[in-house]
Amino acid sequence: MLALIVMFFYIPVFLAFFWSFFLERPFGGGSEFVGFQNFRRVLSDQEFWRAMWRTLLFMVLAPGTAIGVSLVLALAADRGIRLSQPARNIIIWPKAIAGASIGLVFVFIFNPRLGLFAPLNDLFPGLWNPRIDGTDAYLTLLFAQVWNGIPFNFIILLSGLQTIPDSLTKAAAMDGAGPWRRIIDIQIPLLTPQLFLTFVLEFVGSVVEAFGLIDTMTEGGPGGATTLLVYKIYVDGFKAYDLSGAATQTALLMTAVAIMVALQFRLEKRVKYER
Amino acid sequence: MKDSGMIENARSVDRAATFILVAGISFILLPLVIAAITATQPYETFIEAGGLSFALGGHFLDNMEKILSETKLLRQLGNSLAIATIVAIMKVGFCFLAAYALVFFEGKFRRALFAVMIATVMLPLDLRVITTYQIVANVAMPLNWILDATGANWAIEKVAGFRPYFRLSLLDTYFGTAAPIAANCTAVFIFRQFFLTLPKDLPRAAIMDGAGPIRFMIDIVLPLSKTPIVATLLFFFVGAWTNYLWPLVAASTPDQQTAVVGLARIADSDIDEIPQVPLLMAGALFVSFIPVAMIAVMQRQIVRGLNLSSR
Repeated sequence: MLALIVMFFYIPVFLAFFWSFFLERPFGGGSEFVGFQNFRRVLSDQEFWRAMWRTLLFMVLAPGTAIGVSLVLALAADRGIRLSQPARNIIIWPKAIAGASIGLVFVFIFNPRLGLFAPLNDLFPGLWNPRIDGTDAYLTLLFAQVWNGIPFNFIILLSGLQTIPDSLTKAAAMDGAGPWRRIIDIQIPLLTPQLFLTFVLEFVGSVVEAFGLIDTMTEGGPGGATTLLVYKIYVDGFKAYDLSGAATQTALLMTAVAIMVALQFRLEKRVKYER
Repeated sequence: MKDSGMIENARSVDRAATFILVAGISFILLPLVIAAITATQPYETFIEAGGLSFALGGHFLDNMEKILSETKLLRQLGNSLAIATIVAIMKVGFCFLAAYALVFFEGKFRRALFAVMIATVMLPLDLRVITTYQIVANVAMPLNWILDATGANWAIEKVAGFRPYFRLSLLDTYFGTAAPIAANCTAVFIFRQFFLTLPKDLPRAAIMDGAGPIRFMIDIVLPLSKTPIVATLLFFFVGAWTNYLWPLVAASTPDQQTAVVGLARIADSDIDEIPQVPLLMAGALFVSFIPVAMIAVMQRQIVRGLNLSSR
């Protein structure tokens, strides 16, 4: 198994960095050392930077929204009301549904002629059309990603909330702290480890999990408006057979992700929490 | 249960919480309900209604029958089942052993081993799909490098007159699809966390009773770990099932593709005409049913076993 990890994790990671210094020909046509030429080519490509910014924006918006919504839901479910139990069960379902499957459903729901907004489009023609309008397409993608991202965050945050001792909440209530006050001064600070965990997971997740949604919903369009880096790498590598370019972008993206995760862990060490 | 009702009047807060949960559950269920309703409509009614409508159609079984007879989704469902099972067993088996070694043994390489495994959590498979594909397309590639680098190839060329080049592709196989997904050590942390909660005297008592490390593992640790093992098995099964990018490139023939990939390919084929939406919605339910049922039934066990609260 350790051999499998070397074979299917370390060698591919190494190979991405290795190939980024070579001009690799498709179909095994040999290779040639080219130094930093691949990096120069990729970094001077406007398309790369556009995809990079779209990815970064997505990495901020999708986890932020998904975790925010999950937090509100978890706080509500933590009150132990009648709906808490069904909510805990149903809200986790999207975790079991592939992005590429729910993507097809969302394509239909957001279809300008057949979907939910079709009546609106009859009243105001051209108001909503993710097939033509890049912003609309980006929004549908974001919406689907949030839908798919809620369950895991919700479960983590709810588990965290439920370990907060009852006595703490009760003591605060006795001191006259209302529900809002308790959320802001007790529950959220004590939830720091779980919030941190969800941010780390969602950050990495939003980079890669969007692929299934993009491929089924927009195929990167219209006009590249939803081409995130992970999709661009796939198209460059598997459709355009530009192995060196794809490997170079892989190396850059892996470095960016590794740095961001490392930074988040640094940040976590600074934030000390005691229970 | 948090009940502060004795101290303050919590009714209005509870009402707000109920409202939030209703909104949340509706948000999650809405796409699924729309998919389910549309899956019952015959194509003709769907066209007549001009698209999305909330009228039940009574053609659910017909649509399912079409899925079974006109597509390869049933076969692909079997592929998903096989691949997800292989992934879950490989991942959990390895991570259990690795965590066992990390927690119960002192060793020189412990820190190094831990570092080797932490990296696999940071860089998911979808990020390195290009080069992983190249390796799976020819798993003998590293062997060729070694032969080249050590000069063995040069020697063989001198003696035999040809340069050996080994080639073995695992594309379009269950193992080739499953192994790269399984090469990930997330569960090591879950098991490690769990083992650390076991009483410290447990291994000492086992040694006193004359049990070796393997005996101790099989007779004591394994039965105690039932909850996390079941939870991680289910969790990774579902994770592998819903994977898309890797299975998409690892298997190119419809007979070897997973159900999730197969469904997306059906949707791909008719992009210009009005798509067979009711059929696609039936397909989406068809490929999602097994993992959703697992999660819905085993929700408590999964949450408890993954021990998400104490990380």
